[in-house]
Amino acid sequence: MKKVLFLTLALVMVICVSAASAKDVVIAFSQIGQESDWRTANTDDLRSAIENHPGWKLVYDDGQQKQENQIKALRNFITQDVDYILFTGVVSTGWDEVLKEVNEAEIPLLLIDRLPDCADKIDYVAAFGGDFVEEGRRQVAWAGEYLKSIGKGDTDVNVVIMEGTTGASAQTGRTEGNLKALKEYPHLKLVGQQTGNFTRAEGQAVMESWLKSIDKIDVLIAQNDDMALGAIDAIKAAGKVPGKDIIIVGCDSVKAAFEAIVAGEMNCTVECTPLYGKFVVPTIEALIRGEKFDKTVVHPEEGVFDMNGGIDLGTVKSIKAADVISQRIY
Amino acid sequence: MSKKSFDISSLMQSKVTWAVIAELLILLVCFLIRPDFFSISYQPSTGMLYGSLIDIVNRSAEITIISMGMTLVIALGGTDLSVGALVAVAGAIALKFLRWDVLAYPTPGDYTVCSYILVLAVPLIVCALMGLFNGFLVAKGGIQPIIATLILMVCGRGVAQILTDGKQFTTGYSPFRFIGQGSFLYLPMPIIITIVVVIAVALFTRKTAFGAFVESVGVNPNASKLSGIKAAGVILIVFMITGLLSGIAGLIYSSRIMSNDSNNAGLNFEMDAILAVVIGGTNMSGGKFSLAGTVVGSLIIRTIVTFVYYFGIVAEATMAFKALIIAVVIVLQSEPVRKYFAKRAALRALRKGGMKA
Repeated sequence: MKKVLFLTLALVMVICVSAASAKDVVIAFSQIGQESDWRTANTDDLRSAIENHPGWKLVYDDGQQKQENQIKALRNFITQDVDYILFTGVVSTGWDEVLKEVNEAEIPLLLIDRLPDCADKIDYVAAFGGDFVEEGRRQVAWAGEYLKSIGKGDTDVNVVIMEGTTGASAQTGRTEGNLKALKEYPHLKLVGQQTGNFTRAEGQAVMESWLKSIDKIDVLIAQNDDMALGAIDAIKAAGKVPGKDIIIVGCDSVKAAFEAIVAGEMNCTVECTPLYGKFVVPTIEALIRGEKFDKTVVHPEEGVFDMNGGIDLGTVKSIKAADVISQRIY
Repeated sequence: MSKKSFDISSLMQSKVTWAVIAELLILLVCFLIRPDFFSISYQPSTGMLYGSLIDIVNRSAEITIISMGMTLVIALGGTDLSVGALVAVAGAIALKFLRWDVLAYPTPGDYTVCSYILVLAVPLIVCALMGLFNGFLVAKGGIQPIIATLILMVCGRGVAQILTDGKQFTTGYSPFRFIGQGSFLYLPMPIIITIVVVIAVALFTRKTAFGAFVESVGVNPNASKLSGIKAAGVILIVFMITGLLSGIAGLIYSSRIMSNDSNNAGLNFEMDAILAVVIGGTNMSGGKFSLAGTVVGSLIIRTIVTFVYYFGIVAEATMAFKALIIAVVIVLQSEPVRKYFAKRAALRALRKGGMKA
């Protein structure tokens, strides 16, 4: 039994080595795992973009949300001597050593989505990530501009912010953006701030309590769509009309949020795209040609989607959700 | 007179009393800060009573239901770590049956693809079987409960993920919404379901000899064997009940959000359930158990959460705040504190009695 096992193992290794030594450009991707719909869309998009590219071969590893699995995967990539490594880490710390090993093996490293804390101590050829602060700014700016557009720009309104999981980079960034933007719209008064842990159930429970403890809530800024969707149910249960009595701004732009906007129960969702394929593929092509990029993080282009469209947020103009809902795949 | 004094002192020794005192203290603080915390009104649009106290009982439903089973498991001297994962499994199966193939049924709406009986029955049966599997490992395999249930705790969520392709299905099927968001007798359905479950478990354990069997096996499995109790059978039934109750909690959870959330549904529920049981006065080493205490324990946990939301404790301090309150409750219940107060109560009663005499 043991012998058979060793033989199979040896065979697998031979296959791996021969795969790596083939002429194809081998791109390895260490993904976090399948933690959310967003992540699934992120994986599917990057995988299909690389696998469908002629002359490229993808070695994919699913970390199952465990750091040790991802470290193991990165070391395997080094042994296989792949040509490029795409990496997004499940946590932000503890990558120093293994990423230095990647540097020593002189394999170009591309950071995706979540940047490790040690990013300034290691070498990487390109980095892509969402601009969480800008997303947070857009959420509040949309509410402010929308209120102006309906002639309520000068009346004081009460705003509550439902934050994500405390300490997550998306939470810290979006909160920073939210609070900064609130200063630019003095009529938006912050009356509540609490974590809903990025989940529907907690979003619902937090909103349920707020509706009882805060006399008047006009605007809900939810740092992801799931919490906004949960809050919609709580608002209905309190006998109020979501989208009308309370303006709801979500983030991420998942399909369910589009459906809620089209149904008139939600007002806006700020995009945080998981579709990195169209940014990563041209970058790798350029790297193969010998071009170089500096270490600044490239932010993907993202939209803002709402009920009617046309709200100007400075950096971007909102798009009517009903027009693009059919193109949403996640 | 002397009989009454004895009653007070034994009451002060009971952990359940202290759990109730702790709950009342937290509610008193709420009342002192904002008396309208206690206001309850009728909400015509939903046909339900509306207020923070209703929220506390309503949102504690999942943990209360699960911890009924957990109380029995702990009375046996074990723990069941898989309950949270089973919540996710139940939700995933229910949503799978409601939508079946999301590509064929792309938009969620007021429909179900499979018969509604299956939507409810299959998750419950699967969870009961998974509980039975836990029980089998413990009773027949002789594996420690904490290890045996660790298996499903780890792979349960994986099963839930596979069932729904790692996706979050959403539904709008109104009979399913009724479980978590409907109302009966002016109360939210989860409260009604909880009451039914608590009464059922109480009757099953206290009106039959089953409760005594559980306590006996928990104290000394060998002695109970010698006295003719089939320990294996008791263990199997207890774990199966816990699995089934986790399934019920899973249906409530997913009905509240009308979707499955395999990553977050039931997350850390095992810890909350164990905590509810311990606060409720059941000893982790097995033996005597108190279902009423567990209900109070579960209410305490939810009251703290509602307190945090209602009074706007800053997000960063939430965990520390919860830990602080729970630490105070546990200290109040500790042996020396209870003995001290019991002694004082007894002394005072004695002095009074003596003076009268």
